[in-house]
Amino acid sequence: MSAHPNALQDAKVKKSKTLKVVSDQAAPSSPPADLSRIAPELSGMLRILTCGSVDDGKSTLIGRLLWDATDLYDDQRETLARGKKVDGGNPDFSLLMDGLVAEREQGITIDIAWRYFDTAHRRFVVIDSPGHEQYTRNMASGASHADVAILLIDARHGIKKQTRRHAAILDLVGVKRVILAVNKMDLVGWSEDSFRKIEADFQTLSWRFGFWEAIAIPAAAVSGDNVARASENMPWYKGPTLLQHLEELPSRGTEPKGPFRFPVQTVLRDSRNDFRGLAGTVSAGSVRVGETVVDALSKRSAKILRIATMDGDFEQASQGQAVAIQLDTDIDVARGAVLSKADARPVVARSLETRMVWLSETPYDPRGSYLLRTATDLTPVSNLKIRALLDLETLATTPSAECGANDIAIADIALGRPAAIDTFGEAPETGSFMLVDAITGASIAGGVVTEAKAQAAEADENTFVLTRAMLERGLNADLGDRPETEAEFRRRANEVALILRAAGINVEIESAPDYSI
Amino acid sequence: MRAAQSPEIERDAGMTQPISHLDLLEAESIHIFREAAAQFRKPVLLYSIGKDSTVLLHLARKAFWPGKLPFPTLHIDTGWKFRDMIAFRDKTARDFDLDLIVHTNEDGAAKGINPIDYAPSVYTDVMKTVPLKQALDKYGFDAAFGGARRDEEASRAKERVFSFRAEGHRWDPRRQRPEMWRLLNGRLGAGETVRVFPLSNWTERDVWRYILREKLDVVPLYFAKERPTIIRNGQLLMRDDDRLAVKPGEAIVNRRVRFRTLGCYPLTAAVESDADTIESVVAETLGARTSERQGRLIDHDQAGAMEKKKQEGYF
Repeated sequence: MSAHPNALQDAKVKKSKTLKVVSDQAAPSSPPADLSRIAPELSGMLRILTCGSVDDGKSTLIGRLLWDATDLYDDQRETLARGKKVDGGNPDFSLLMDGLVAEREQGITIDIAWRYFDTAHRRFVVIDSPGHEQYTRNMASGASHADVAILLIDARHGIKKQTRRHAAILDLVGVKRVILAVNKMDLVGWSEDSFRKIEADFQTLSWRFGFWEAIAIPAAAVSGDNVARASENMPWYKGPTLLQHLEELPSRGTEPKGPFRFPVQTVLRDSRNDFRGLAGTVSAGSVRVGETVVDALSKRSAKILRIATMDGDFEQASQGQAVAIQLDTDIDVARGAVLSKADARPVVARSLETRMVWLSETPYDPRGSYLLRTATDLTPVSNLKIRALLDLETLATTPSAECGANDIAIADIALGRPAAIDTFGEAPETGSFMLVDAITGASIAGGVVTEAKAQAAEADENTFVLTRAMLERGLNADLGDRPETEAEFRRRANEVALILRAAGINVEIESAPDYSI
Repeated sequence: MRAAQSPEIERDAGMTQPISHLDLLEAESIHIFREAAAQFRKPVLLYSIGKDSTVLLHLARKAFWPGKLPFPTLHIDTGWKFRDMIAFRDKTARDFDLDLIVHTNEDGAAKGINPIDYAPSVYTDVMKTVPLKQALDKYGFDAAFGGARRDEEASRAKERVFSFRAEGHRWDPRRQRPEMWRLLNGRLGAGETVRVFPLSNWTERDVWRYILREKLDVVPLYFAKERPTIIRNGQLLMRDDDRLAVKPGEAIVNRRVRFRTLGCYPLTAAVESDADTIESVVAETLGARTSERQGRLIDHDQAGAMEKKKQEGYF
């Protein structure tokens, strides 16, 4: 989906209601008359990524939002009141977003920081990420958790290369909603012309990506204009304040989409009740009791007998819910399996086309031993081939066989055994992965699957097939051929494959006997 | 879905699938518990008796229901926990059929290291940090669940869900692994162990809201009651036994107090309060005007105190 052209227009906001903010509420020392009003469950949550450079006033903007709209504690307010003053006597709101001692001393933000605050309606989680180019990886990992991103720019400078780079990272990791906060409008004389020009540039930029919604808001963080309070200095702007817009976006978890996916985390047993349940979180879509589900890897299917939780059984389970599924027949499904409906299965993939952001200081090593962590599976990588690097500013690709920290690589991955995988566009949680260094365990890269293929990348005569017979004879002789030990069987097979791979041998692990490839 | 318990939300949201923020947090925590239990060889749940541990334990039970917890629980006993806390701990272990391990640094106890005569930083190191490492090493635990939250303190705001510790349990901020999407990478390098924080994204208010919603029992010290207290350095301290000597000029006064956070008794300040039911405690907490760690004296020791403690291996 491309950005809706009208999404950028001020007219977007229908409601003109004044948002009631928590800090307006009465001091609460009196005994509660109605607890449901004092301790309501908030009707939703929104994770907000903030990106932009220190100079653009990012920390100030978020600090200002917290100050004006939320439930800050008195000691936090005091910290600000006591601290140094900036810009004509306003507190330094950026102090609310401070972090590690080392960073405070350097005056820069190098890691992502999480902040939580409540308005009257919902929980906001602010994920603060560094903006500089050398921290692309930090931003990408922060963005992967976000429902919406605030891109912050300085009104005097307009859209810069960095904004384009940030938009590309957001698109890569699947952020669908973007807000351009045009800050420091006071320094351009609250000029509508300046804003409209930036807004038009942003619109052009947004159309290149798969955002569902992109909106520009003129603001001045230090004075709070259009942060939580509509600006009197910019009467020409009819759109929402930043806070209004954030309050009106759909909450996390309310937009179930895509085909049903249930990556199995672990098997729960209760011998007292003869219970065997598949524990997991529905990662896409929904499912009901009585429906038939299939394990794509083994191609076995069964009906859902119960959707069990400690709070009682459910009739239906939807995206985001953590449950235990009991099937009507035991089909020996174990961790790593992905349950789906028969007509919309994940690919039983042998090879993948991917885009990944390289997170490690250690560059790509063609002889390295890597594992692929998908939703709940861990698969040895038999071959990782970097094809090209993506230039985030021009979106052009440059052929490359190398890759290092902060690079966005286009790469092919051959898997040592088949795994149930989707493309990221269809089912993000089963279409994303972490590349893991098999020796150190470090997370080397995070990526998305652009194509999952059932056939092996290239037939390679030199590939050594590690058969089950070989493993059963010696290494795994103690395990026997029982479903309970399959996970340990696979773990050992993975390790052997990794050792052989380090010795320069391409390895493929033979699948369990029932698995059809 | 929790709609039955959240009727207001169902009405107000007007969306296709109403879901409260507590439902989202609960599901995320259960997911984390299950990932860690599946990926680590020998996990343990660190149980410190307070409200966060109460929620942590409840979520763990949900994650593995109807089965038993697939790991033991560990309490590091400094010998200076309030008596009510120890009683609550033992009752909880019985009620939920927990495999409870209690560990104390016997060496430190024998040397008489206590929170009254020693600086908080020394006491915390000897009676909390050291025995935690001792116990993890003694039993060979490779993962420990803790109730730390990112909203507690600035340096925790950057903490990971899987927080890796190098050999010797050292925390190095530069060696932490990036976490993306819902994926959790638990593959350990040589000598590494991990702390797992299923409550990472919860706030203090969420913990209370959840205790209320799930009707969980908590230590009675959270509720206001007449208790013997003294005022020292501007803080209200409860005198749980006569190990807390009364200094000249101090007087033991019965005051109606409760605790917002529970730790070792002379290090944990009380607040004057009339809140004596879970509802009134929640109401008071949700309206509280200071963040909870104000009540913990160790954190004020020095600037960046928590970050330093973590680098040394404090939880």
